[in-house]
Amino acid sequence: MNVTRTYEPAAPVWCAGCGHFGVLNALRAVLRDLELPLHEVFVVAGIGCSGSIQNYLGAYGYHALHGRLLPAAAGAALANPELTVIGAGGDGDGYAIGAGHLVHAFRRNVPFTYLLMNNETYGLTKGQRSPGRFVDRDPGEGWVDGALLGLGIPSSTFVARGYSGWPEQLARLLRAAIEHARSGRGFAFLEVVSPCVTYDDTYSRWRHVLHDVDADPGWDATDRAAAFRGAVRLAAEDRLPAGLIFRAPDARPRERPAPASAPLEGEAVRRRLRELAGRYLVDGS
Amino acid sequence: MAVAERVTDLNVMVGGQGGDGSLTLVGLVADLLGRRGYHLYESRDVGSRIKGGCAAGLLRASTVPRGCLGDRLDLLVAFDREALERGAPLLRERAWVVHDSSDGPAPRDALPPGATVVEAPFGRLAVRDLRRDLYKNSLAFGVVARVLGLPDGDAEQALRRSLRRLPARLVEANVQALRRGLEHAGEAGLGEGDGWRLADGEAGRRLLLSGNDAVALGFLAAGGRFFAGYPITPATEILDRLLAHLPAFGGTAVQCEDELAAVNMAIGAALTGVRAMTASSGPGIALMQEGIGQLGSAEIGVVVVDCQRAGPSTGMPTKPEQSDLGMLVHGANGDFPRIVLAPADPAECFELTALAVNLAERLQGPVYVALDQAVAQDAVTVDGIDLDAVTVERGKLLGEADLARLGEYRRYSLNGDGDGISPWAPVGACGGCHLVTGNEHDEWGRVSADPGNRVRMVEKRLRKLDALLPGLPRALRAGDPDAEVVLAGFGMNGGVLLEAADALAAAGLPVQVLRLRTLWPVLGELAEAAERSRRVYLVEQNATGQYARVLAGAGLPAAGLESVLRFDGRPFRPAELARAILEREEARA
Repeated sequence: MNVTRTYEPAAPVWCAGCGHFGVLNALRAVLRDLELPLHEVFVVAGIGCSGSIQNYLGAYGYHALHGRLLPAAAGAALANPELTVIGAGGDGDGYAIGAGHLVHAFRRNVPFTYLLMNNETYGLTKGQRSPGRFVDRDPGEGWVDGALLGLGIPSSTFVARGYSGWPEQLARLLRAAIEHARSGRGFAFLEVVSPCVTYDDTYSRWRHVLHDVDADPGWDATDRAAAFRGAVRLAAEDRLPAGLIFRAPDARPRERPAPASAPLEGEAVRRRLRELAGRYLVDGS
Repeated sequence: MAVAERVTDLNVMVGGQGGDGSLTLVGLVADLLGRRGYHLYESRDVGSRIKGGCAAGLLRASTVPRGCLGDRLDLLVAFDREALERGAPLLRERAWVVHDSSDGPAPRDALPPGATVVEAPFGRLAVRDLRRDLYKNSLAFGVVARVLGLPDGDAEQALRRSLRRLPARLVEANVQALRRGLEHAGEAGLGEGDGWRLADGEAGRRLLLSGNDAVALGFLAAGGRFFAGYPITPATEILDRLLAHLPAFGGTAVQCEDELAAVNMAIGAALTGVRAMTASSGPGIALMQEGIGQLGSAEIGVVVVDCQRAGPSTGMPTKPEQSDLGMLVHGANGDFPRIVLAPADPAECFELTALAVNLAERLQGPVYVALDQAVAQDAVTVDGIDLDAVTVERGKLLGEADLARLGEYRRYSLNGDGDGISPWAPVGACGGCHLVTGNEHDEWGRVSADPGNRVRMVEKRLRKLDALLPGLPRALRAGDPDAEVVLAGFGMNGGVLLEAADALAAAGLPVQVLRLRTLWPVLGELAEAAERSRRVYLVEQNATGQYARVLAGAGLPAAGLESVLRFDGRPFRPAELARAILEREEARA
């Protein structure tokens, strides 16, 4: 371990009472509990209020383009499986401009964690509605439920929802998500309901909207169809499941190549190159 | 039959409807002539569909290397009337025409009076004798082999080689078709050993590969280990090759959901220190522009290959153009350094892609390799590729030992060697933790809108190119170095320029040829040439002279520079270009 001085984590720029503090606290606690060296942690953030969380940790941080944190995080996770890659972005990022990538992150199941910090609004541009808004949504606009979306993609392996007002459960879910990804089982999706106190203060309502499935003995998080049914049923009552919604029981750690440490040159590389080039020989010899 | 003619430079076109087997037949001829030591240039004229539509394969086989198609066709094989009509205007006086007369005889008035026409209802014969229309190309191959003056046995061997992966039953049926074709040729008076007398080729162990094949090889050779792409004509083969080959090198290739994912996945991978690349064509490169700007602002090295096709928008997917240049040089918001390289043939695609991988890491920014559809997809023989010439240069990459020696590490340090290039640590390196962002940032990578910092950072980034200038590929020169007229171009026009220069010299107008290989930054080679000559003709495959305007923007005086443009989706033939230049010179005289 060397002692090179690197950047000082900044103080959060969020409004007092912002749900994102709950997310940051949970993330700090889990990284500490897992005893991960900070240089092996890569936080890939999106654009928006949530997109500064990487600045507060002291780990490696990347501020991705709006909507593109998922492919950037997948690229890093595919290139170096030793890294603990944590994507963290908002609902505009994940459910609007980058929603197409979310579908394929579930499908491809590349092992990394995605924390979708859903404050139901566009905070930095001052309060526009987001497609992830559930409470007080515009009925004509509908909404996107990332958990249901994930359940609907057959190769997804981890779907959970936490609430920044329920810190213990949130830390537990985050740890489970990071462990799922770190073990190579796949993509771990954790939406965190993280209310915006400035533009859409819904704190008083969420305890009534969320149904804690971890405390529900009837909820089988190993059964995709049951979880889907349960989530649809709750939605019909204007409620959402919170907790570990689904974790694929058959998800196994996968052997993965490590392109970031693959040899760039050397005799073995040359031999393969010569063999490849030989396939183009005109006389086929 | 005509007296055997000795040939050293053959141009063949085989055309019909997609699915007729025209391209297979061209491949057979290429195989036969390649083994005789001929240099090959193989091209396709196809539509953007899986089957049907007019599809033609074009082959030039010559005893000396030629980097383009020739002016006139020596042999036209037409499976239908449309192919005959397309090929006829290109026929030389004493050409051979092999025509499928299933729908009637070839109209002789469309063909040169000196042409020899061999007709047979290949389609009908195939159905009648062999029960399947698709054997007609093997039938026609029998006639073609006799026109080429090749031993029947060689033709059969070539056919067996080309079909070696098919079940024996199908191979035998095709061989039977070939024999039937040979018989038919004999009935038409074309016996074994008649037809042309092929000159000896040049011995050598050559490779026949496309620019896209060579890009993939160059990337692998330079230690490229991560590729992300999305299928698009005419860049798809790069994705295909790397999906197939990267795993054996410990690397990974990903077929993404779109080009936005492709460039951003490459960014995520590159941040971990893997050498990363993406490839696309105009529409996909347009989608990637925000990511290209991110490479510039956040200082991330990624190679971006653009196999240009006719635009704008979806344009003509299978046709070549050089009309992305404005986007490559100026695209994306903000000011940042980038490099644009332009290879002209597969050997250079290999060399410049390998170089681009090094340059991307040294620049810590975007490096484009700009192909066009012709360079990307035409297959050309090269005298081997030089693996020993490829070096791996990682620029100011820091290892953990380097980091341990530093008291502190600032990712975007301004205190470097004055070249603006800050030492960089890959994500995961102990002691190198930092923040990467496309927002303006301070030396630590923290977002900053401080005006002083802003100016320092913009200037630091722009300065980076200066350090790399000495290593950028210079223009290649040919022709008469003292000539007062310069013929300049790049990419698909590379081979055409050389041959047009020969034609112009023969017509009494000596020219120098300048083939550019670095398009951005502008190296001043054309400005110099313009200063020392009477006139520079800059040949481009686009409608507005995009590169001429780039040069004007870089301060090249417009006087003395004249654009020669083409944008009909067809490459220049050397004689066409020579004629265009002569006409302009005469108009000025």
